[in-house]
Amino acid sequence: MSAPVRIAVSGMGAISAIGNDVPSNYQSLRSSRHGISHIQQLDTPHRGKLLVGEVPLSNAELLNRLGIHSAEAYTRSTLLALLAVKEATADIDVADGHRTGLISATTVGGMDATERFYDDYLETKSHRHFIATHPCGYGTEQLARHLGVTDYVTTISTACSSAANAIMLGARMISAGRLDRAIVGGTDCLSRFTINGFNALMIYTDGHCSPFDEHRNGLNLGEAAAYLVLERAELAMGRSKPPLAYLSGYGHANDAFHQTASSDNGEGAYLAMKQALEVAGLDANAVSYINAHGTATPNNDLAEGNALLRIYGSAEAVPQFSSTKAFTGHTLAAAGAIEAVFSILALQYQQIFANLNFTEPIAALGIVPQTTLVSAAVGHVLSNSFGFGGNCSSLLFSHAHE
Amino acid sequence: MPMSKPIYIHGAAGISIQPTTEPGYFFDSILRYTQNAIPAHDPDYKVLIPALQLRRMNKSMRMAIFTAQRALQEAGRTTVNAVITGSGLGCLRDSERFVESLLTDEGQSLNPTPFIQSTHNMAAAAIALALKCNGYNMTYVNNANSFESAVLDSMVYLDEHPDDTLLFGGVDELGERTTQFWDLAGYLKKQAPAIPTPLANSTPGEIAAEGATFFVASGKPTPSAMGKISAVATCHETDDSKALVSRFLRENGLEAGAIDAVLMGYNGDSRYDYIYDDLAQALFMGASIVGFKHLLGEYDTVTAAGVAISLRLLGEQRIPAALQLSGTQPKQIARVLIYTQRRGRNHGLILVER
Repeated sequence: MSAPVRIAVSGMGAISAIGNDVPSNYQSLRSSRHGISHIQQLDTPHRGKLLVGEVPLSNAELLNRLGIHSAEAYTRSTLLALLAVKEATADIDVADGHRTGLISATTVGGMDATERFYDDYLETKSHRHFIATHPCGYGTEQLARHLGVTDYVTTISTACSSAANAIMLGARMISAGRLDRAIVGGTDCLSRFTINGFNALMIYTDGHCSPFDEHRNGLNLGEAAAYLVLERAELAMGRSKPPLAYLSGYGHANDAFHQTASSDNGEGAYLAMKQALEVAGLDANAVSYINAHGTATPNNDLAEGNALLRIYGSAEAVPQFSSTKAFTGHTLAAAGAIEAVFSILALQYQQIFANLNFTEPIAALGIVPQTTLVSAAVGHVLSNSFGFGGNCSSLLFSHAHE
Repeated sequence: MPMSKPIYIHGAAGISIQPTTEPGYFFDSILRYTQNAIPAHDPDYKVLIPALQLRRMNKSMRMAIFTAQRALQEAGRTTVNAVITGSGLGCLRDSERFVESLLTDEGQSLNPTPFIQSTHNMAAAAIALALKCNGYNMTYVNNANSFESAVLDSMVYLDEHPDDTLLFGGVDELGERTTQFWDLAGYLKKQAPAIPTPLANSTPGEIAAEGATFFVASGKPTPSAMGKISAVATCHETDDSKALVSRFLRENGLEAGAIDAVLMGYNGDSRYDYIYDDLAQALFMGASIVGFKHLLGEYDTVTAAGVAISLRLLGEQRIPAALQLSGTQPKQIARVLIYTQRRGRNHGLILVER
């Protein structure tokens, strides 16, 4: 697989537990300020017990910020996505005649409405206008209408690698000459469905998650939306501002090991990273920072760590890396996009963000993440996203001046 | 859109509400139904899936694995390099089951299996697991363009990897509560629902159904290939289908008259079938118009079954009477155009050629 067409990142937008836009997300990363706290917005018996990365805005506040009437049927994932998409496209004229596509990722879709009105729909008419919001594709269609994208619109759902795959598809569609521009990313709000699902899997930490720590014992869930504007480099060059970064590589593989667990040697993760480097035509040693998937579950971090050791040969050779999941929580289908934004921020500000809550390296691996904010020469960043069903993806972002 | 290389189909298999898994079946006898929704006409899944695994699989997983394995058998292969799937609604029954368990027992320990198996990528993942396929594995969930998105990705993938072979397809299952929701939302036909669905003097609403169809494809022609997909396009929103189809034909260097049969997504919903009537009048007067949703019902990825039918038309060189809506038997069937939309949105075009 080769990427003869250079893919520029011309815009980005993000909303997460650590900020309602990209600058505020950056401020939190820069000051190592996490967004994990008790549930405030979602109505669930898990309130007061579970720590999550929740966006501190109610649906009513989100609607208000977007200027959408509260009588209209928008679910929370779509509201978060709309804010991120607006920020990402603020300087882009989507209707300038170039072929623009929209590729959005979600796993929750409109499930937060379905679970709330599951019996109510049958009994009263008052919320039935939300019935249509259930399919994952519905929110994408609402985004498309707000953006004015009419032709190529699609939605990806591959669990926690969903947004990374949306970004990858955008790059491939541009490389294949089928699009000039792709608005790509993902969104997932917290829902009782996912909160209870991961609870049933007994995958939560009892406190704050500690990625790549010997004593890590599970994840915090989070919610977020993040989108990038990818363009054919020549199109991006025509603008007064230089691109934010380039997407120089991408890879996807399936672990084909288990429905939910990763193989110990991290086969899928290894293949995805290897492919991303191949597409970029880069040696693994050219990577200055790895934004790891690092969910802080015993299984993921071991598998991902082993995959890193397979790529680099030894613990010493692994470049600086961190998981930012301790800031945002694991934001599922949005994770690949919010972490793509963080990877691009690392390139823009020449900084590596902290892997919070770390005390002791995993004995079986011997790799040590970057635990504080540090300035560094960051030329290429690898960003990993792995999911249920064995779906593993890796994206490689490069400095705009490279 | 640039011309992309065609992809060649080496095997195909589908489960639907008609006995499409029976050897040689080609719509010469039709199962009739007078209900809404209609579950798939199940094959004996045990023939291809070990009983122990089968018990743990939801409907989407078993339909997807069964048809994927059948398509592989037909193509004479045991594995592939990539799996690309579309599913508008994913594993609905497990989703419903998990919602129902959390509504009664939230906060207590719930069974995680329906949650795990509710994720939309579970059918593609189950195929990868069954085939031990470490390659590219994707799931599109874009309503009635989910399968078309998978076709487009398959074409792009095989352009990037000219030596590879892949499985692609679509799967959607019915959910009991979700069907009630669609009924409340006004999507479903209430008045005398029937398969075959009458298309003349039709009434509002769709017939909800389910099914799965998978294909084995590569970028290389073989003497035994069933046909090829030469082009695909999707359009989320347009009120000018004629312009959309004309542009598609032009991009592929074709006149409307070069199409031997046009598969259209007539589903008997009086609110939207006029889109097909208008297109037929504008571009395909007198052409052979072929239907399939009036026999298979409506679901997001039913177009996958339309592709399987198109390939059979090429092989059999005849249009079964139950499928033919207008026009005459073409002298030869070398080129089939599939045009579908659902509820006026998610328009899809697929060109299938000999």
